[in-house]
Amino acid sequence: MKHVLTSFALLALASPAHADQPVTINFAAEIGGQPFACGTSYAGLGATDAAVEVTDYRMFVSAPALLRTDGSLQPIALDQDGKWQMGDVALLDFEDGSASCNGTGNADMNTSLRGTVPDGDYQGLAFTIAVPFDKNHVDPTTAPAPFNATSMFWNWRGGYRFLRIDMVPTDKAEDGPKGWFLHLGSTMCKSASKTESPSECANPNHMRLMFTGFDPESNLVVIDPAPVVAEADLRINAPETSPGCMSFPEDSDCLTVMGKLGLPYGDVPAGPQQLVSVR
Amino acid sequence: MRRQLTALLALAVSSAGAAGTEAAETAPYVWPMPAWMAPPPVPEDNPMSAAKVELGRHLFYDSRLSRDGTIACASCHDQARGFTDGRALAVGIDDTAGIRNVPGLANVGYFPVLTWGNPHMTSLEFQSLIPLFGDNPDEMGSNGREDDIFARLAGDPYYAKAFPEVFPERPAIDLFTVTRALGAFERSLISLDSPYDRFKYWGEEDALSEAAKRGEQLFFDHRFECYHCHVGVLFTDNLQTTRSALRETGNHNTGLYNIDGDGAYPPRATGFYEFTGDPSDMGRFRTPSLRNVGVTAPYFHDGSAETLEEVLAHYARAGREITDGPYAGDGARNPHKDGMIVGFAASESEISDIIAFLKSLTDERFLTNPAYGDPWPQGHPATADRVMP
Repeated sequence: MKHVLTSFALLALASPAHADQPVTINFAAEIGGQPFACGTSYAGLGATDAAVEVTDYRMFVSAPALLRTDGSLQPIALDQDGKWQMGDVALLDFEDGSASCNGTGNADMNTSLRGTVPDGDYQGLAFTIAVPFDKNHVDPTTAPAPFNATSMFWNWRGGYRFLRIDMVPTDKAEDGPKGWFLHLGSTMCKSASKTESPSECANPNHMRLMFTGFDPESNLVVIDPAPVVAEADLRINAPETSPGCMSFPEDSDCLTVMGKLGLPYGDVPAGPQQLVSVR
Repeated sequence: MRRQLTALLALAVSSAGAAGTEAAETAPYVWPMPAWMAPPPVPEDNPMSAAKVELGRHLFYDSRLSRDGTIACASCHDQARGFTDGRALAVGIDDTAGIRNVPGLANVGYFPVLTWGNPHMTSLEFQSLIPLFGDNPDEMGSNGREDDIFARLAGDPYYAKAFPEVFPERPAIDLFTVTRALGAFERSLISLDSPYDRFKYWGEEDALSEAAKRGEQLFFDHRFECYHCHVGVLFTDNLQTTRSALRETGNHNTGLYNIDGDGAYPPRATGFYEFTGDPSDMGRFRTPSLRNVGVTAPYFHDGSAETLEEVLAHYARAGREITDGPYAGDGARNPHKDGMIVGFAASESEISDIIAFLKSLTDERFLTNPAYGDPWPQGHPATADRVMP
């Protein structure tokens, strides 16, 4: 980063006012510390050391910003690429549609945020795993990419899935659930009237994250659900609930999970989030 | 009666054709309905046209909209059953067990809120995304498969011609055009030609049996209170027409369950509560229309009543008592139960009269109208692998 800043400073001298520097934030998807790939089996997950394959792995990231040295935030102006990034929201897609991901996945992948910030000294990174409220409750059939990816639709709940990591135990019972899916989204979104889009959500479930000492040049943002599901039994699903934890209230599969996303869940308080780290 | 009808007719004629002004280039859409009824509202971005309705009908019956080509809309919405499936709960792709009884589609364009208990479902176009892409439970299983499916449709000569004709400004087969065509077809599903309509609106005294006439009087009697929720021309308190000043919506807890004594309904079937988190919304489901109710068994949001007799027994008792099993409890004591569910005592002949009345709402022409039927020739790829209820 420093190096970039220096060379950029020279550039800035050549064209002084409002100089921008490009910035790329790289993400890595992992499962239990192993790089994620479709079709790979990952052992030792959850309370019962389940082995799983992963069938989908995507997330929406919004409001990315770099942390200035004075502690304030400089929003990253995302490149408007017409495909992955729109406004201040990006869809990260870690699956390539092969092997286990051939159900809902596709070949295209996107594992970084790309944008610009004004020349300056930065010392950290902030972003939110969520679709902002004003973009979350719109008609997706008229929305531009990436908001038209049906894999992330959650319209029946009133919005999009913010995070989708679909794990399927490889040793599940014959009549076991179709998988143990970790889906994050807003729940209990009330409307002002019964015929309007939601005006607020009781459980927005936005994950706001900040990491100091993050240098986009040398650091990675690592996503790994293993610590989040460490206390969950991935081989079973609580009867009459959605498979895995889909953020819905009153799903006992979520009891040990949501707190580890840094979110309160019913009577369970938020703990430190354990999904995202940097290195 | 006759005089009122004349006045209504005059009113209807003057306002007919108000909808779909943007469809001016093609022939104006003619609603398949009597003049006394106002058409359903039409979204600004989806004006009606005969060609669009026809395109939507082809899509509705086309199982290539599902991931594996087995499930069409019609796989759960069977015209002969008022566009229901005869099952307690829907069955989706890979024999996936559903969680709701399939709602009928007669007059569905008039409902301001769709589905049994989701306040977010306010347009047919939006609602169609649930069966197509929903995965909890899977219905058509097309989540993430939209590109494949649209490409599949594009290879069909009918669609290659129809989409550009219907949507000249954006002919691509995509989320917008597919959902708009489906919405237009559904909006065309008008059922207002039952024996009761001929009796009530056309003055055909002999269209109803004597039993049904007695049943009508009972249905609209304070003793039974049926009509407080099953009100108006569609027998539901959910209604919007092009003449409506506002959208009427009604959802009620009718005392079907009371699992914990505090009013709990079974998991995954808690009604509007699921979406609002408001305890008073527990067990509140949208009032279904009673048109064609004689052919849409089983009943209630979870298909838990097999017959109309069972439904009426539930209301007679002011709530259902379940004596054993995981859902045991006295629904009559559900604290969130609607105040109109007060119970009644009725003789067997009164019950059979009410049922005769309810069956007079069956519109045989609607159930057999070829304009709502399967347009595909037998063995066509659109339907070759299609599962039907």
